[in-house]
Amino acid sequence: MSKAIVSLSGVNFRYQGRNTAALRDINLQVEQGEFICITGSSGCGKSTLALCMSGFIPHNVAGEMRGSVIINGMDSRHYTPSQLAGSIGLVQQDPEAQLCTLKVMDEVAFGPENLCLKREEIKDRVEWALAAVNSWHLREREVYSLSGGEKQRIAIASILAMQPELIILDEPTANLDPAGTSEVLQVIRQLGQKTSVIIIEHRLKQLLPIADRLLLMDEGRIIGDGEPEQIYQEYCRRFRSYFTVFAEAERGESPGASVDKKLSRPEPVLRVQELDVKLGGKRILEDISFDLYPGEVTAVMGGNGSGKTTLLLSLLGINKADGGHIFYRNKNITGEKVSRRARNMGLVFQNPNHQIFENTVWREAILPSEMLLGEQDLDDRINFLLTEYDMLAYRDTLPFSLSLGEKKRLTLISVLGYQPEILLLDEPLIGQDKQRVDKFWHGVWKHRQAGGSTLIVCHDPDFVQEFCDRILFLDQGKLLVCEPVKEGFKILKELGFKDYLPGSPVMKEWYYG
Amino acid sequence: MVRNHSTGLFPGLAYIPDDTMVHRFHPLPKLLLLIAYAICVLAFSGVIPAALLFLLLLVLYGISGLGLSFFLRKLRMILIFGLMMLLVQVILVHQGYLLWDYTVLNLIRLQIWSEGLARGAMMMLRFINIIASSYLFVSTTDPNKLVYALMQAGLPYRHGFMLITSLRFIPIFNQELTIIKNAQMAKGIDLEGVLPKSMLRAVKYLLTPLVLSALNKVDYLSISMESRAFGLYKERSYLSEQVVKKEEWLFLLLSLILLSSGASLLK
Repeated sequence: MSKAIVSLSGVNFRYQGRNTAALRDINLQVEQGEFICITGSSGCGKSTLALCMSGFIPHNVAGEMRGSVIINGMDSRHYTPSQLAGSIGLVQQDPEAQLCTLKVMDEVAFGPENLCLKREEIKDRVEWALAAVNSWHLREREVYSLSGGEKQRIAIASILAMQPELIILDEPTANLDPAGTSEVLQVIRQLGQKTSVIIIEHRLKQLLPIADRLLLMDEGRIIGDGEPEQIYQEYCRRFRSYFTVFAEAERGESPGASVDKKLSRPEPVLRVQELDVKLGGKRILEDISFDLYPGEVTAVMGGNGSGKTTLLLSLLGINKADGGHIFYRNKNITGEKVSRRARNMGLVFQNPNHQIFENTVWREAILPSEMLLGEQDLDDRINFLLTEYDMLAYRDTLPFSLSLGEKKRLTLISVLGYQPEILLLDEPLIGQDKQRVDKFWHGVWKHRQAGGSTLIVCHDPDFVQEFCDRILFLDQGKLLVCEPVKEGFKILKELGFKDYLPGSPVMKEWYYG
Repeated sequence: MVRNHSTGLFPGLAYIPDDTMVHRFHPLPKLLLLIAYAICVLAFSGVIPAALLFLLLLVLYGISGLGLSFFLRKLRMILIFGLMMLLVQVILVHQGYLLWDYTVLNLIRLQIWSEGLARGAMMMLRFINIIASSYLFVSTTDPNKLVYALMQAGLPYRHGFMLITSLRFIPIFNQELTIIKNAQMAKGIDLEGVLPKSMLRAVKYLLTPLVLSALNKVDYLSISMESRAFGLYKERSYLSEQVVKKEEWLFLLLSLILLSSGASLLK
């Protein structure tokens, strides 16, 4: 450990149009061969730091930078990211958007080809890089046909083929399901032997043992830098439990308790019987039957492509049922129009950017209520909701300028505005750390307390164990488990889905320390 | 390969992977052949050359494994359109010999003239020949291979990759569009309306999220490409060399000679 690959001194950065700095006074040296983890809450400046270290700031991002970044002896102010590419490589979060060709081979060869290398050299590098991410068998595949985890492995291989001295990975597993996360983390662990690595991650358990350093960031500063275990302890002390805002008292009865009173169970709100759904001639859901009860939160788990989102969409009638029935309050609604069902079922999508349509926060919040309930006096209710979720100050702001967490809250508000009895939430936790989820989940919990029913697609078993009442587990379109949480996990364990169990090495997070 | 299930005038205009002679033929000479064919279609006037070219096309459709059923199914709209062209010519052009004369109920007199029939048939065949040959080319040519071949033949790589990334992103945007439509339905936004106001609204509600998501993806993409030294040098090298085989050049030459000699013979 002698040569510094990257050294930052006195780096400050402020995005154009923002008042607060995204990075403040960053001083950092990365030595050759180091394996560094960076963690911190959403919006703390981790990704900005990654863009700085790879030279995209100051070249591609509008804003104001001070201080200097020296990469392999090159000052990032005088060298473009393409010129720095041989020294440093950046793997990003979205597995879809960072692959630019149609075939796996072309993708991995893309970098070396840009370097004008000889054919034999490119071939050697491609073979080596694909082997390094355990993906040699994917070489002939088309990029679009890969799973999320496979795409991310190819993205890593395509950077590896540049043979950079340092690879920076910015939350490479954030968009992946547990199985994908597991395979990518395994690849990253092996990377450490080949090159220096900086990885920005929330999921530290697997990485800490091999990390040389752990950096802790908060509000644009590095507030901890040192021996992983020690920093980790400090981190856990700072951000202890899942939700800080609402204490035990507010949570009311624990989910476990509601399961015990099975005998006096109320009528189900929603009853699904033998539901079959086909999309484009392919069977996505097969013979699905379950009930949703008032005052309960039901988790839908399963890998990507197991039919979770399709299930939510078919409850609303957006995806049509090919067989089976759906009853709402004992009324068969299988053939009912989407707009009628939507009054009782509020669906919040995973990515808020897909469901924000209006120019102001206020218009956005009131839009679906107007659409579904017609012209009514809704102003009071929307005002109340905006106040409750700390969004009133943004009333006239453009919704797209909000942060991800705020956008998620806004989409929840817009759904709560028309008071549906059932909430359908598609992976509400993704892309947010626990502090940000806080307010969002608070709203869901209030809905539960008021006797509402909730169906939530969720990848985090620890979260499910703590906050949900029942589990539905989908595998390739079939419902394998439909049980109260405790029994559900027991069955999953017997079936061998180890990535989906609470406390599993992959998903057991820093949440619990 | 791009899965484009768009309907309308050009349904399923997409590469259909297979391993026939037509598929294996190197994209560059194939493209040149297509151009030569198109020139012939436009240069030769007369029904007989047009019909011969049409027959040639049918043979190629047969060899490529797409067959007549593909032709009739995918090109239905084009065929109907061609027939309409024929009909218009037959009705309007009254020149040459009178071939057929019939009066319906003493009211409407139907006549078919030789010139009208010939001109109509030629226009129909020309039209079908041009579109069906392009269809054949697209259905049997891997777009990825074509663009890589073009780049190696001298197309500036920035333009080439513009094509490749757009091919890569078409299915992604299709997916995004479906999600956005679903989100609208879930919010009770009814996009079916004929009033200009509601149409405008529909466009706005569809485009705003789509454009924003596209911009977001483009950010990711440009970082990912530059992170791999895209645009560093004027030239770049390629892993898989797309060599045109000698036989393929020979075949191209032969076909060109055949087409042009056919042209002089017919004249």
